[in-house]
Amino acid sequence: MIVFALLLVAPLFAQEQTTPPAPSAPHEAKIPKPSEKTLSNGLRVIVVTKHEMPLVAARLMVKTGAEADPAQKAGVAGLTATVLKEGTKTRSAEQIARGVEALGATLDTNARWDASVVDVNVMSKNLGKAMEFLADAVRNPTFPKDELDRERQQALDALQVEMTEPRSLAGFVMTRLLYGDAPYGHNLGGTPQSLEKITRDDLAKFHRANFRPENSVLLFGGDVNADAAFALAEKLFGAWPRGTSSAKTASTVAKPPEPRVVVIDMPDAGQSAVVVGRQGIRRSDPAYLPAIVANSVLGGGYSSRLNQEIRIKRGLSYGAGSSFAPRREVGPFTARTETKNESAAEATGLVLDELNRLGSSDVPDAELTPRKAVLIGNFARGLETTSGVVETISTYALYNLPLADAEKFISGVQGVTSASVRTFATSNMAANGISVVVVGDAKKFIEPLKQRFPNVEVIAAPELDLNSATLRVRKLKE
Amino acid sequence: MRFARSLFALLLLVAVSATAAAPFPTLDYKHRTLSNGLDVYTVQDRSTPTVAIQVIYRVGSKDDPEGRSGFAHLFEHMMFKSTKNMKAEMMDRLTEDVGGWNNATTYDDYTPYYEVVPSNYLETLLWAEADRMASLNVNEENFKSERDVVKEEFRFRILAPPYGRLFYAIDKNSFTTHPYRRPGIGSIEELDASTLDDVRRFHSTFYRPDNAVLLVVGDFDQQQADAWIDKYFAPVPRPSIEIPRVNVQEPARGEEKRVKVTAPNVPLPAVAMTWLAPPASNPDSYPLAVAESILGSGESSRLYARLVRGEIAVQVNAYADLRQDLGLFAVLAIMASGHDPAEAEKILREELKKLQETPPSEAELEKAKNLIITSALREREENNGRAEALSRAIVLQRDASQVNSGLGKLQAVTAADVQRVMKKYVGDAKAVVITYTNEGGQQ
Repeated sequence: MIVFALLLVAPLFAQEQTTPPAPSAPHEAKIPKPSEKTLSNGLRVIVVTKHEMPLVAARLMVKTGAEADPAQKAGVAGLTATVLKEGTKTRSAEQIARGVEALGATLDTNARWDASVVDVNVMSKNLGKAMEFLADAVRNPTFPKDELDRERQQALDALQVEMTEPRSLAGFVMTRLLYGDAPYGHNLGGTPQSLEKITRDDLAKFHRANFRPENSVLLFGGDVNADAAFALAEKLFGAWPRGTSSAKTASTVAKPPEPRVVVIDMPDAGQSAVVVGRQGIRRSDPAYLPAIVANSVLGGGYSSRLNQEIRIKRGLSYGAGSSFAPRREVGPFTARTETKNESAAEATGLVLDELNRLGSSDVPDAELTPRKAVLIGNFARGLETTSGVVETISTYALYNLPLADAEKFISGVQGVTSASVRTFATSNMAANGISVVVVGDAKKFIEPLKQRFPNVEVIAAPELDLNSATLRVRKLKE
Repeated sequence: MRFARSLFALLLLVAVSATAAAPFPTLDYKHRTLSNGLDVYTVQDRSTPTVAIQVIYRVGSKDDPEGRSGFAHLFEHMMFKSTKNMKAEMMDRLTEDVGGWNNATTYDDYTPYYEVVPSNYLETLLWAEADRMASLNVNEENFKSERDVVKEEFRFRILAPPYGRLFYAIDKNSFTTHPYRRPGIGSIEELDASTLDDVRRFHSTFYRPDNAVLLVVGDFDQQQADAWIDKYFAPVPRPSIEIPRVNVQEPARGEEKRVKVTAPNVPLPAVAMTWLAPPASNPDSYPLAVAESILGSGESSRLYARLVRGEIAVQVNAYADLRQDLGLFAVLAIMASGHDPAEAEKILREELKKLQETPPSEAELEKAKNLIITSALREREENNGRAEALSRAIVLQRDASQVNSGLGKLQAVTAADVQRVMKKYVGDAKAVVITYTNEGGQQ
């Protein structure tokens, strides 16, 4: 009988664990150590070796991007990057595409803020051959006129699609509100009007001025040893001549424009997009770590405050979040959400309330520690893939930060205090300096929005002009 | 189609369509079945201090109750609410808060719940997954709020993007009988019709060990992990009622069907063409993957060359979307401005015909295979990607070993195989042609 009773009871003890078992001792993440070398022409070469998979990611990064687009010609950097691989002195666009893809490789080019990049992802056994295509595109592009015309038309069509989507259009408008006519103020991909003005000469000029070894960094991540990568760099880029004129100086960002509240009225919109923003920080700002921790609390990841309040508690959206985009100069800070048209004003109010809360009380440790863990986990996982390693290290190289800083990232984040988060948020994230953009069916939210923002400007979508800080089409010119 | 709990983690994923194996790294999985029917697969890899856990339930949008399209997906969201031993959103506390992440995806045939955590939290997550398998304890308040979130997801994916309604229309018009025809994201009306009772019934019907697969991939000690799996999952009872299965045959198409779909804010018209294709477990899946690549992967693909380089379309896609019961082979083009869907349709038909009548060159076959293998390798750089590749083999191909043998089969595909499958599934069959234009005429 006693045995029987024990048998009955024992499984109950075994199965009924009502609280989560505690973790065991953590295993340390390995932060890979880069090797580097500078070629005699000034090209910096960085290699991070990891042999787990037979893959390599490689990037040639030029430290100039869309901030250098000439006035009224937004999109020059973007089209230069796109057309770069559409023809060289010895290969046509088709030959390049066929040659790269025969290797199972991808060759991607794009311009971003502060940089233009050419990326290769390839099996390690095909690295040498794939890099020949990358080097040819970087050094010998011819920018054929017919390819430019085709890519321009593609860009115009893509832009037309993006401008009918509330969330992408809201981002375009916010860019103008944050920077006005200053270098970061235009749409990175250009506007319908600016794209039409861009000539083959503009691309060749942008390439000549910026694609030069002393303004570039070549990065390798993955299944390649440093010596082999350095030899490949020397072979393909050793004879790349330095530029002849003096390097372009960094762009300057004007004083932030006055905050504005703008509604773009799109009567058929299936959902409204809300974006709020202000100028944020430079990547070199000593407050970089408090800034990203503050953002992690506010809007970084699923359980951040914005998603808690807007999605989890109220069911108003599929997601809400925020981010800093630190750049060479002061980059933007933005927060966004999408919601049905009827709740756009409520969602906007919730975002602003959370901005103010961050500066008005300390973040308790029970909240701060997990939000730091989010940043640390993302950082460590970003280094698990070949392309992730290259992306992470290239940011340090782009902003001239010591590569060894990557090893200090985790302890740096852990060291951020709630006091420094609050101080930072008070002066850099408060709602009083913020601009607001709502794109959607205005009649469904304009009245409640006006109650909070009597100064709201409403612009009908067809009247929107992204070319100027006023945002309005100047009727007189038509 | 797939719909996930949230977009945050989804951005990390890379989509690929086939599998790789020797001479490349194989996935050395161990498989066993617990006495309650739970299938367990483990793959040890200690190169990073993280572990990926997936619990896959063999239930998906095709199992939506009648009049409740979108329900399996809504239910998936509810699995992050309270259980007997966990408060709502506690999964986030155990993953995100310790530097990991979680998500779930509702496919037509299955629903994986997955998380990646620092490996010292493996036991914690095994406990949590077993807990939500055993019980769900949701209330009216969090049901209604989460249903509102799913309605916002519907607006976000379908109503707001210019081409959302096109993707919504593809399955709906491509199947006549099989429940794949119903939209996995649902509709506002049918979501509103669902109740808390539906949620409870769905859990007790489908969420059970004999309808699930557990995958653990990454940094763990084999013996320790096995002991934890036994400790937390073995006590979950296997219900005695039978699991209902969709058993509907989609009939072959008798004739070609043309459908016109319009939507607001469509700046450029589009055309999609679909044909019925075999299930993912059919060996023809390999030549179909090669055909898909020859037609639509990369800037040297045939459709890109003719339509995009030819300045007729701005975007083209070709895909073999093979599911458990059957699939679709589809081609899609978004027109360049000033061009009409009829132009693209004519060229798409020409290219599909050419692939049936003329053998692709060895170089073109080799290119397609290299592209597929490289993207499969890239997927396997991370533990969760390895788990995804394995889960597709288990659930869709119904054979875990394909995760390793698939590459050999892909390498063996010949030009004649490609011609044969294109003729069988496209040439000798009937298309559904969907044209998609702006409501009230072109903008």
